[in-house]
Amino acid sequence: MKIEARGIRKGFRSGSHSLEALGGIDLGVEAGEFLCIVGPSGCGKSTFLRIAAGLDAADGGSLLFDGRPVSGTGPERIMVFQEGALFPWMDVQDNVEFGLRMAGLPRAERAEISARYLDMMQLSRFSRYYTYQLSTGMKQRVAIARALAMDPDVLLMDEPFAALDEGTRNLLLGEVQQIWARTAKTVIFVTHNVEEAAVLGTRIAVFGSRPSEVRAVVENGLPRPRAAGDPGLGPVKAEISAALGGAP
Amino acid sequence: MRYALYRAAFYGGLVALWHVIHASGVLPPGVLPSPYEVAEDLAFGATEGGLFYGIATSMWRLLAGLGIAVGGGVALGVLMARSEAVNQTAGSLVLGLQSIPSIAWVPLAILWYGLTDAGIIFVVAVGAVFAVTINTYTGVRNIDPHHIEAARNMGAGGAQLLFSVLLPAAFPHMITGFKQGWAFAWRGVIGAELLFAFLGLGHLLYAARSLTDVSYVMAIMLVIMAIGLVVDGVVFRRAEDAVMSRWGLRR
Ligand SMILES: Nc1ncnc2c1ncn2[C@@H]1O[C@H](COP(=O)(O)OP(=O)(O)OP(=O)(O)O)[C@@H](O)[C@H]1O
Ligand SMILES: [Mg+2]
Repeated sequence: MKIEARGIRKGFRSGSHSLEALGGIDLGVEAGEFLCIVGPSGCGKSTFLRIAAGLDAADGGSLLFDGRPVSGTGPERIMVFQEGALFPWMDVQDNVEFGLRMAGLPRAERAEISARYLDMMQLSRFSRYYTYQLSTGMKQRVAIARALAMDPDVLLMDEPFAALDEGTRNLLLGEVQQIWARTAKTVIFVTHNVEEAAVLGTRIAVFGSRPSEVRAVVENGLPRPRAAGDPGLGPVKAEISAALGGAP
Repeated sequence: MRYALYRAAFYGGLVALWHVIHASGVLPPGVLPSPYEVAEDLAFGATEGGLFYGIATSMWRLLAGLGIAVGGGVALGVLMARSEAVNQTAGSLVLGLQSIPSIAWVPLAILWYGLTDAGIIFVVAVGAVFAVTINTYTGVRNIDPHHIEAARNMGAGGAQLLFSVLLPAAFPHMITGFKQGWAFAWRGVIGAELLFAFLGLGHLLYAARSLTDVSYVMAIMLVIMAIGLVVDGVVFRRAEDAVMSRWGLRR
């Protein structure tokens, strides 16, 4: 799904205090592209994803999916929340199957899908655990499995790897690239980690600080599969870091 | 285990003290029966069956009233939490009605329903419904907005959202509401039966009073207390523990 954001603005008001988070985001994402977003904390990356997911409305600008404006949220654009947002009253497997159940899939089919993604996230052993019994990194993996199980056109991922150890992260960097290559999903992936962005992104959008605009878009045509630590990533990482560190 | 011993000793001591006061004769005759007389009346009530019949009658009225209160209270609480218009209008009325003791509904219930089961069930339901309403409202209001957003994002809406997310997410608060509702209902049913004078434990209490049978009055009060303890301390305690640990609110 092709996404075109033009001049997206969003501010927050609390009492007399108002804060301009997005100062006009222009960003095009081709169908099947893997776009990474990096930028300083608080610059509005999550806010932008929420608008793309249809959970918040922008104050101004236009947002088109395959050339059409979309109002509200829907399962074709699935968000992986920075906070995970797993349901504590369900076990891991029921969490992963939630959207499938809402869509009316029969039990056997749901079980097959959830088993596949839980296995991919190395959580098969924990399918009957409740969220309070999981570590933060495990919760993030459940959240990723839940999103993948929905098989959405667009995946909106908000720092999904932030709480993972290096080994798990490297593994998931590989898995996510594979899924993306196989399914041609359009992915917007927010991260603070320059290396992660260089491994995953076909392009990397660098947001400036509030009120944020897209400060630079770094092209990344390196051959795949890529892995963290590849020496070839050097120039792309340098370019991202330069854009992040440049201009106030 | 140690506290079980303490507890046994405490109640043993209490009964012993009761016996001593009774035997000492400091109180005028007829004021305080001996523990033995009360136990005898309990045994009599149990063997003769009247006590069990009274318990069963009070219980079914309570369950009917509480059932109505839970159904109505949950529905109203969810509506108030999800619609500011309902909250601003019906919400204030709920707070007002909540301040009316259930016993104060008895005259109206008698006028509306006569001396019937329906009247007592009405008193029980109206006494319990607002506690359920208010706790359900609080529960739904306190749901992590990310949970609702994630559910909507994954395609949940309407009834699916209600039954798969709103109610389960609010359940820890709701169960507190059920517990409070039960407490109001239990007090309400005994009180209403006293005034309706129409079967049930409350009526047994009334009848025993008419016969100036102090020990039977005390025996029935013990039964009321014991049932309250069991439901509060066993049924609701267990349910709450299960819910709290399942929801990860307590380890
Ligand atoms: N619901 C809200 N109400 C008020 N202010 C908000 C709200 N959501 C976000 N903000 C503000 O908007 C700005 C952008 O927030 P956002 O969460 O999008 O940042 P971010 O780029 O995702 O940061 P991080 O990298 O730390 O996750 C912040 O200054 C934040 O305080
Ligand atoms: Mg964020």
